[in-house]
Amino acid sequence: MKRAIATLAVLTVMVGCRPRPQTEQNGATDHTKPTTQQPVEGNALPSTVLAPDPGPFQGAEIKNADGTITEGLLSRGEVGKPGGTIKLSTFGGGPKTFNPWTASDVESSGFGYLMFEKLVDIDAWSGKYYGRLAKSFTVSPDNLAYTFTIRKGVKWSDGKPLTVDDVMYTFNEIIGKGYGNSSLRDVLLVRGKFPKIEKLDADTVRFTTAEPFAPLLNGLVVPIAPKHIFEPQIKKGRKDFHGFWDQNTNPSNMVVSGPFKLKRYVAAQRVELERNPNYFMVDKDGKRLPYLDRFVVQIVPEQNTQLLKFLGKELDMLDIRSVRGSDVAQLATKQQALNFSMHNLGPDDGSVFLILNMARRTNPKTKKPYVQTFKQEWFNNQKFRAAVSHAIDRQRIIDNVLKGVGTPLYTAESPAGLFANPDLKPYPQDLEYSATLLKEAGFVKKDDGKLYDSKGHLVEFSLSTNAGNTTRDGICVTITDELKKLGMKVNYQPVDFNMLIDKLETSLDWEGVVMGLSGSRIEPYNGANVWKSNGRLHMFDQRLPNDQGEVLAPDARIWEKQIDELFDKGATTLEFDKRHAIFNEFQQIVFDQQPFIYIESPLDVTAVRNTIANYKPTKFGIFYTPMGSLHNVEEIYLKQPAGQPGAE
Amino acid sequence: MGVDQVAIAALNPLIPTTDSVPLVRKSPFQKLWADKVARTALVVLTMLYLCAGFADPLTPYSMYYNDPDLANAPPTSVYVQDEQGNWTWPYVFAVKRSFDPNTFGQSYTEDHSKRYPVKLFIPGEEYKIFGLIPFNLHLFGVNSPARIFLLGADVNGRDNFSRLFFGAQKSLTIGFLGLFISYPIGILYGAISGFAGGITDNIMMRIAEAIMSIPSFYLLIALAAILPAGMPGGQRFALITVILSFIGWAGLARIIRGMVLAIKEEEFVYAARAVGMTEINTIIKHVVPQTMTFIIIAATLQVPSFILSESGLSFIGLGIQQPDASWGNMLKAALDNVNDLLEQPWLIAPGLAIFVTILCFNSLGDVLRDVLDPRMQGIS
Amino acid sequence: MSIPVYMLKRVLQAIPLLFIISIMSFVMLKMAPIDPLAHLRANPAISMSAIKEEEERLGLNKPPVTQYGIWLANLVTGNLGVSVQGADVFILLMQRAGNTMLLSSLSILMTWLIAIPAGIYAAVYRGKIIDKVFGIISAIGMSMPTFLLALLLLMFALATGWFPIGGLTSQDYYDLDAFGQFLDIAHHLVIPVMVLTFVGLAGIQRQMRGNLLEVLRAEYVRTARAKGLPENVVLYRHALRNAINPLLTLFGFEFAALLSGAALTETVLAYPGLGRLTLEAVLTKDMNLVMASLMLGAVMLILGNLIADILLKVADPRISLD
Repeated sequence: MKRAIATLAVLTVMVGCRPRPQTEQNGATDHTKPTTQQPVEGNALPSTVLAPDPGPFQGAEIKNADGTITEGLLSRGEVGKPGGTIKLSTFGGGPKTFNPWTASDVESSGFGYLMFEKLVDIDAWSGKYYGRLAKSFTVSPDNLAYTFTIRKGVKWSDGKPLTVDDVMYTFNEIIGKGYGNSSLRDVLLVRGKFPKIEKLDADTVRFTTAEPFAPLLNGLVVPIAPKHIFEPQIKKGRKDFHGFWDQNTNPSNMVVSGPFKLKRYVAAQRVELERNPNYFMVDKDGKRLPYLDRFVVQIVPEQNTQLLKFLGKELDMLDIRSVRGSDVAQLATKQQALNFSMHNLGPDDGSVFLILNMARRTNPKTKKPYVQTFKQEWFNNQKFRAAVSHAIDRQRIIDNVLKGVGTPLYTAESPAGLFANPDLKPYPQDLEYSATLLKEAGFVKKDDGKLYDSKGHLVEFSLSTNAGNTTRDGICVTITDELKKLGMKVNYQPVDFNMLIDKLETSLDWEGVVMGLSGSRIEPYNGANVWKSNGRLHMFDQRLPNDQGEVLAPDARIWEKQIDELFDKGATTLEFDKRHAIFNEFQQIVFDQQPFIYIESPLDVTAVRNTIANYKPTKFGIFYTPMGSLHNVEEIYLKQPAGQPGAE
Repeated sequence: MGVDQVAIAALNPLIPTTDSVPLVRKSPFQKLWADKVARTALVVLTMLYLCAGFADPLTPYSMYYNDPDLANAPPTSVYVQDEQGNWTWPYVFAVKRSFDPNTFGQSYTEDHSKRYPVKLFIPGEEYKIFGLIPFNLHLFGVNSPARIFLLGADVNGRDNFSRLFFGAQKSLTIGFLGLFISYPIGILYGAISGFAGGITDNIMMRIAEAIMSIPSFYLLIALAAILPAGMPGGQRFALITVILSFIGWAGLARIIRGMVLAIKEEEFVYAARAVGMTEINTIIKHVVPQTMTFIIIAATLQVPSFILSESGLSFIGLGIQQPDASWGNMLKAALDNVNDLLEQPWLIAPGLAIFVTILCFNSLGDVLRDVLDPRMQGIS
Repeated sequence: MSIPVYMLKRVLQAIPLLFIISIMSFVMLKMAPIDPLAHLRANPAISMSAIKEEEERLGLNKPPVTQYGIWLANLVTGNLGVSVQGADVFILLMQRAGNTMLLSSLSILMTWLIAIPAGIYAAVYRGKIIDKVFGIISAIGMSMPTFLLALLLLMFALATGWFPIGGLTSQDYYDLDAFGQFLDIAHHLVIPVMVLTFVGLAGIQRQMRGNLLEVLRAEYVRTARAKGLPENVVLYRHALRNAINPLLTLFGFEFAALLSGAALTETVLAYPGLGRLTLEAVLTKDMNLVMASLMLGAVMLILGNLIADILLKVADPRISLD
């Protein structure tokens, strides 16, 4: 017994202590480094290395086997070898449906992008709209009419022709009448009215809006459905539509226009897609794309498992958001050994921010104000918010929580986006400046180190974020610490995600929240739900529907109204430069007023095996996974002899 | 599951009993102590509980303390020799973190210019002994700006070693608290049901069976999800304990009821009735001793399952929340990046702690069963 | 009472039990403040009208009693409803149930195959090294959280490359012939079965050991030995039959566990089973799916108990059912 204790004691001492400090000359490895090697050149991450812009798409005339000609697209990448399988993964529960017009979740929409072509799409290099199924399009001088000329001879995977009728049917019947996910329709509403869609001739269709609406094109980036398949289904009624082409659909029923079509869905395991032989794109040698024979997506519920699979060579690639900040350094050291490269695509379009509840109204049910009156005064004081914002050390948060794989965020528009305001200067943490602002606002830091407002209340409020998220948790802990230095007492409690949403959108029972939202690099109007005073996600001062179901904002602040006007103007102005100026002004207002105190944006990092060729990630060529950064998925090929399927 | 197994083992009416009486009787505790495995388990458990109870003075930092500049730091190296190789009092160096923007690698380098000796009984953060007496001495520590993170720091720069001790407080007590809540309820419920008999018994047992029939894991999650969000850590901890106990009592009730039913028919009950004792007294007097053994054994086997359930809940994110430390949520944070485990093996410490604790309880329970089983009294 | 009549009686008794369970499950679900549409609400691209439509479609606005009534009415007609995403619940369950059944049966088989002999050995050689070794091995299995064990084994698979990293079938599965498919699945099952077996070993092994020890001290065993019967006849013909008894009751529980699955293990190992499905459903409050899974679990438990009781009767005619 005594021996056991003695042994234990000695062991403990041995574990903790080291005989003598090793210096570099001794040649010993420094055990204080978590990564045991010096960074090797070959293991460095190329930062934002983008392939050069190859210019816009050119058309190509494709001769089909039956003698007809398809007006297709010419690939912009190098000529590759046909054949092979690419193995990717999707994180989560897998697609819920293969019907992109019903899908309301990201995974299902992602599969839609692989299987269906759109009328217009976003160019991966320039971020501008170009005609995909449309050969060309023009906008009338009064900015009300958009005329699209559809490419002739494009075929569906079952050989039937893809025509203007499919386009009309998709927009008029499926989307316009709100079958499936009605957000697709709502995004196209101009002054509450759906655009008028007319067929001008066999190849031309025109959309006319009630007033100029710049985001219209963004709303048209939506898959086109085959009328001959959907018409009989729609006739069955709305209820059945939801289950049409769901997870368990028979793949042979699906008719697609995209590079791949569904071959098999193995429940909860993977989705197997195969090449669409009728795809309307060819390479420079005239060979029909896509090169890949099979596109297999494994469904993985745990992020760790995904990473392990990649390391175990069961996956060819980890796309955006699969590589977490904490994984990057580790993965980087293995690049040479496991023959893959990592790519830094720059900041993600999502943002993480801190909001303070600025609501000044009374809850009609409880007859009490949503936020205590004296706290309302703090949160509504611009200097208070600015002080909080300047107290946060964003870089340290990124270093700790994201292991450096992120960028500090100060603006409403992602720095990666087209509309980012370049004049807004980032500012480092400045506790003295914060203290000055607080003093100016009437707050007093007393001798006990705590902050009191002008009426003598201790500055104390609660901070929440969604539970179980290590990143957000780390952010909240850091914010709590920093604000403590100002004398504020922040009570941090993580809350279940659903509960958090309920607080933010229904009960308004919150004081401070750290949240994240996805964004858009291309269309700032997509944030209308958030920035308009009566928006559904106007979180910092969420207005609730009244008894008639309308959302009114009679107590909108001056700058809120300014933002509303700017959004309306930005929506009705079509010229890019003018829009940029309008949204710059909007970002300036947000920067000054700080209703959202932005914190950080993670970096999009991908890891791709070197056997994958033609991988050309760009800032704007990022879509929902599994397409992810493979905007040119049809050009991707394997550096292997043709015909060999991917191993394992 | 443990409850039922033990009960069946203890009470199978088919297995006839022996009735040889040894010459020398050892008390149960002596027998326990004689067994090497049980002895080790008892010692380890006592040490663990002492660590948990005196977490504040024993650890250099409090549960919430953090140094944000040293997040994810590896364990601090404690040196006992100087550069020349002479033995000295243990000391550490201050550590700085640097960042390579090319590889996103973070490295932690020691600043060899100044040594910080490890001090004993160093004044540090304030705490209250038993929640009453303010005190501020810690067993060991180092002066700022050096830190002594014996097991490294977590993503927020908090000391893993200290939090392990504080986590022990939650994980080690949750088992017993759960027991103290579920067992009285179960025993009472079962006794009443068995005693009452007839329709009452029938209905009560149906309800208990219904609860038992819901797969316990989902019951746990569903109940944990009901917890109103945003409650302070202590309250949440208490409620989770209540929920965990909600899982266990039904099985126990059923078994107790079986015991009571059996005992009701025993001869000594008739005898007692003949003498004039009321039935309740009889049952209490006879049921309780018989069940005592069973309860003690089952208790030692149930505590591990509570600890495991807590870690399972934390893995999903429904257990004890940050910034409070529990072995479950520390393990979850470690497993968020399972890849790092090979390079940073100290992260697995909470898992090891859970493992050791449960191992001890199980071993103890095994030996206890051998020791306390009346039918084993003849064997030493 | 004859066995068929007994079975009928138990089935009839089960119906009110299932009814109570369904009500309890439903109440718990409704009390949890989880909103199945929370993710939609947090997505700026989804409009208010889309959310309202989903609420309508899922019947979330109706009073709870009505929702329960609808569910019950559907159940009686054999319609298990659709999940929040629109997939038919019955199909979902069937797809996953087979996988979980496979995993669970194999695990139970392996567990019993290993644990029973181990228990016997440990009892017969009580106090010797082999008893202690088995004790320690089974103790280790019981003492680890399953998800930790699963993760560690996954890393082991990665390090050695001997086993696939989770999942059930590889992507070439449908290109393989029948034998190839069999091997593929077997290859994938090694790690999940190892995890579940290791964790379940201890219980059975100790149980067996404990029971056998007690039986071996019984008078009739002493009698048998006194009669001069060889030791293994004593052991296998007399002692074992009695010792096995309590284990049959355990088997009932194991049978029930067949379909409740090991949710955390399945999640970590990306195994397409019922446990993972139910876990996801509970966390997203997918009412139809959760109710169906829980009812399935309850049915299996009741069935399991029934089987155990009948097996008991068959093994030992002295037991009177009821």
